[in-house]
Amino acid sequence: MSQELKRKLWDKTKLFIFLLPTLVFIFGFIGFPIVFSGYLSFTSFNYAKDALPTFIGLQGYADMILHDSLFHTALLNQIKFAIPYFFITFFASLILAILINELKRWVTLFQTIYYMPMIISMSLVGITFSWIMNPNLGLFNRVLQLVGLGSLTRNWFGDPSTALYGLVIARSWKMMGFTLVVFLGGLASIPGDLREAARIDGANFWQEVVYVILPNLKPYLLIGGIWVLINSFKVFVLPQVVTEGGPGFATLTLYYYSWKLAFERLSMGAASQVAYITAFIILALAAVMNYFLSTSD
Amino acid sequence: MTSLNRQRLILGVVVIITVIFLTPLVWMFITSLRPTQELFSYPMNIIPKELSLENYNYVFIKMTSFFRYFINSLVVTISTVVLVIVSSATGGYAFGVRKFKGQGLLFMGIILVLTVPYIMYLIPIYMMEDWMGLRNSWFGLILPYVALNLPWGLLIMRGAFSTIPDDIRDASIVDGCNEFQLWYRVMLPMTKPSLAATSIITFVFAWQEYLFASTLMSKNKWQTLPVGIVWLRDELQTLVYGRLGAMIVLAVIPVLVIFYVFRNFFIKGLREGMLKG
Repeated sequence: MSQELKRKLWDKTKLFIFLLPTLVFIFGFIGFPIVFSGYLSFTSFNYAKDALPTFIGLQGYADMILHDSLFHTALLNQIKFAIPYFFITFFASLILAILINELKRWVTLFQTIYYMPMIISMSLVGITFSWIMNPNLGLFNRVLQLVGLGSLTRNWFGDPSTALYGLVIARSWKMMGFTLVVFLGGLASIPGDLREAARIDGANFWQEVVYVILPNLKPYLLIGGIWVLINSFKVFVLPQVVTEGGPGFATLTLYYYSWKLAFERLSMGAASQVAYITAFIILALAAVMNYFLSTSD
Repeated sequence: MTSLNRQRLILGVVVIITVIFLTPLVWMFITSLRPTQELFSYPMNIIPKELSLENYNYVFIKMTSFFRYFINSLVVTISTVVLVIVSSATGGYAFGVRKFKGQGLLFMGIILVLTVPYIMYLIPIYMMEDWMGLRNSWFGLILPYVALNLPWGLLIMRGAFSTIPDDIRDASIVDGCNEFQLWYRVMLPMTKPSLAATSIITFVFAWQEYLFASTLMSKNKWQTLPVGIVWLRDELQTLVYGRLGAMIVLAVIPVLVIFYVFRNFFIKGLREGMLKG
């Protein structure tokens, strides 16, 4: 009996040794911080002035949601960013994946090319796009002039009506490689017979896409869609590097606002509230999307 | 015949889109090769009249902080990769091979973490590191980077370990292997492709990370490339995009080479991680 107990104890110890590095990193740098910032979101805490956080319950959330006009601006900008970002990233990569998959050859080559921006730092992508969109010396305005659209030229990132959408383009360009790879994986897994059968039944390419490809791609569309959705709300680097949230507050996103509250104003409580509200929106949207895509048939 | 024409049409469309897609990268590369006076010519010539390496020369000779950033990026990235490998090889074994109470719940929790905004961790980590004196040190970046990459690593490595047949485990135990030998000598070599995928995904993440580096490292001496280059841009103030272009090209080359050499592991790893999660 005691032999048995000893063996069990040793077994548990071994398991613990295997799990130790994981537990240290996950609890130390993710579990504890997430709980702590949750606590901070119910407090008022200026990191520079206050010795300790003051517990204020839901008051901080109420003030943030009801009275903070910059929060309202950031929320609105976030929505204006997320909608075109989602559609551009999702559909551009889906359409391209379907086209590339038709080629049979060079699939890996195109996949590698489109994945390239994914491995380049967002900040460097930001610098690159600032340069291309530069009002006088940039490529984009120059090309517009050369094709006779000179009247459209403007300071794209300096104009409040276009700055946010310029960032959408830059971010979609960087991120679409990921969904493209996911969709190409899904397309490759569709059995050739299925499409052959549809073609024998007289389906054209468009009908093949609608009736054979898309239904079979569903799990991949769900994964890709949720990934794009999550990322449409995690927007920080481009507004910081390219526009600093401006002009005015035209590109202040939720994520960037939270960062500004934390590390410029040092209001850790308010910053945590914005972070938690953002996370809540992301999880709610992902849950809704999961519900619709996995139940509808 | 019509099918061949269709193939050609699709290829044509894809090639045109791909050329447009590649323009920003190609443009930055051309910019890095343009002499300064040509960058300021107005209206600009799209096809450069002359090319020179003056921007690269300038970066190599004058910009000493660029090299400091490069070394920092290298040290932080490699250390992160090593620690993620160790942690996900052990943790992946525990989740993939062993059974224990709360396993599913713990794993779900770890994966959920991938979806929330990193700033939720960053605020407390900033305070923790301030208090422990870890800000402005290599460790100040390495530790959170390992934590942020571990969920991916665990996802991939758990998958790899769980596909190893039970027979192999039983046979090794009959042969007198203890559990650590089973893990290290028998199973770990079988997960090599997944280890490679985990390393590359982690490398790419750490090499491009901006949020934590810009917040936790306030001193020039400790900054990594993605933030350091932005600082140099702000410091130089004027339009020095030729030099910035050269720095961007130099910063991107290492990760591009690694990605290209290991691209199959990389894409396989991403897909496996995605689909099992």
